[in-house]
Amino acid sequence: MLWYKAWLETRTRFLVSLGFLVIILTFFVHHAESILPREPKASTYELMFFAHSYLAGLWMLCVILLGMGGLLRERAAGVSSFTLALPVSRARLAAVRITVGVMQSIALAIVPWAAILFVSAIAGRPFFVSQASFYVLLLVTGGMVYFALAILVSSIVDGEYTAPAVAYGAAILVGIICGSVSKLRPFLDLWRFITGDNHYNKTTHLLSGPIPWFGIFACLCVAALMFLASVRVIQRREF
Amino acid sequence: MTNAPAIETHGLVKSYGRVEAVRALNLCVEPNCITAFLGCNGAGKSTTIKMLLGMIAPSAGEGTVLGKRIGDPNESREARGKISYVAENKPLYGYMSVEQTIRFAGSFYRDWRDETAKELLYRYGLPLERKVRLLSKGMRTKLALLLAFARRPELLILDEPSEGLDPVGIEELLQTLVGQCAEGTTVFFSSHQIAEVERIADRVCILDKGRLMVDASLDHLRESYRRIDLVFPTTPCEPDFRMNGIESVRGAGCQLSVFASGNVEAVIERAHDLRATSIEVAPVGLRDIFLETVKEN
Repeated sequence: MLWYKAWLETRTRFLVSLGFLVIILTFFVHHAESILPREPKASTYELMFFAHSYLAGLWMLCVILLGMGGLLRERAAGVSSFTLALPVSRARLAAVRITVGVMQSIALAIVPWAAILFVSAIAGRPFFVSQASFYVLLLVTGGMVYFALAILVSSIVDGEYTAPAVAYGAAILVGIICGSVSKLRPFLDLWRFITGDNHYNKTTHLLSGPIPWFGIFACLCVAALMFLASVRVIQRREF
Repeated sequence: MTNAPAIETHGLVKSYGRVEAVRALNLCVEPNCITAFLGCNGAGKSTTIKMLLGMIAPSAGEGTVLGKRIGDPNESREARGKISYVAENKPLYGYMSVEQTIRFAGSFYRDWRDETAKELLYRYGLPLERKVRLLSKGMRTKLALLLAFARRPELLILDEPSEGLDPVGIEELLQTLVGQCAEGTTVFFSSHQIAEVERIADRVCILDKGRLMVDASLDHLRESYRRIDLVFPTTPCEPDFRMNGIESVRGAGCQLSVFASGNVEAVIERAHDLRATSIEVAPVGLRDIFLETVKEN
């Protein structure tokens, strides 16, 4: 039933985010396709790249919002003692919350892309499912760092509004740091990784090259470390 | 059923910076009886309960609840499976409906009794579909109590359970607590309502400024505590009555009021020696004992 609780707790935020992403992205793609020339097909592919960049930006805003909550927010609302009186470890409470958030984040990447493919296909401009999957993979794995950051912030910072403000600030800071470091080591630019810019072929307007397993692994490791840190913080915290 | 204490603490301390919320608390709650935990606001009652449930870590000392160490997260989790806890502000998830809350809470406990939950739901008149955030304070209290009473826990910990209830609800609550105790559940509850405590408690613990001032059975308190009002021909000397078992001595002119937890005979003898013109010994209620205890401290 902890899963059910985590779902009920985030349901509104998740569904609103999902609706928002689907509507914005399908509207953007539908509108852009109506003004694109029928040929060449490359223009469609380029549009998909831009659509994904928009999706990545909005997706990050949404998953940071999804990462808010947990025991600290419950304490602010005065209900943490109900949760903590349950015969459940704090690690399990945190793990369930993180898992539900990860699944919702994945859905927030897949469903809008599915909607984009659908709208595109209806407009007679089909796009490759493999390319869409590549975009989703980059977004979910790279973007997981931002979700983990939100989880970590929500485990440290109290307050209904303070926590999201700090989380968004931290995300911007991460973006600036990655941007600065990337001048020396381009592969460290998280934004370019998430948007697929590192793999974007400017001639074909498609993602090319092998799947960046190392980058994916590195991002997931960073996210896992932040998840672990947030669990440790919650375990030690007093309520 | 065991005779081991349901709750036992040794030198339990909780400090927040320089402030000691709980000071060297040695508590022993006997099993299968109703123990009331009294104290003024900020006396450390809720802090103690939170330590017992593993929500906050003690700064020093140790304790066990149902034989499980409170400082060990795994043991504390095991203990919580056998404890029903109702917190002070009756915290429940506002986004859940009454039905969802009951289903959610029931899923965590092996001793959950569906039939009892249904019976209590009917008796309390709780609307199943209504969101918890839309319930009145009294209704929320009833729902919190339902979650606690729909089980057969070994230990019931209630933090001001009657808060928000009407007189009928309070009466039902007291009867239920007595019934739970008769079924073998140990009841440990904090309250500001002395009259309620006097009606159902077997033992009373009084906490003041983090210190345990009184830990005795209610019968023992009733038997041993007395107020002795004395009248003398001249102004008496208060220190003459400072002796073992004397909690307080207050003088006003030729009158002296002695509050004793024992040694009453010695006080009377001293009063005779000092040629008291009137000696009146009266039993005192828990309310007086509580007020004198916290006043003296």
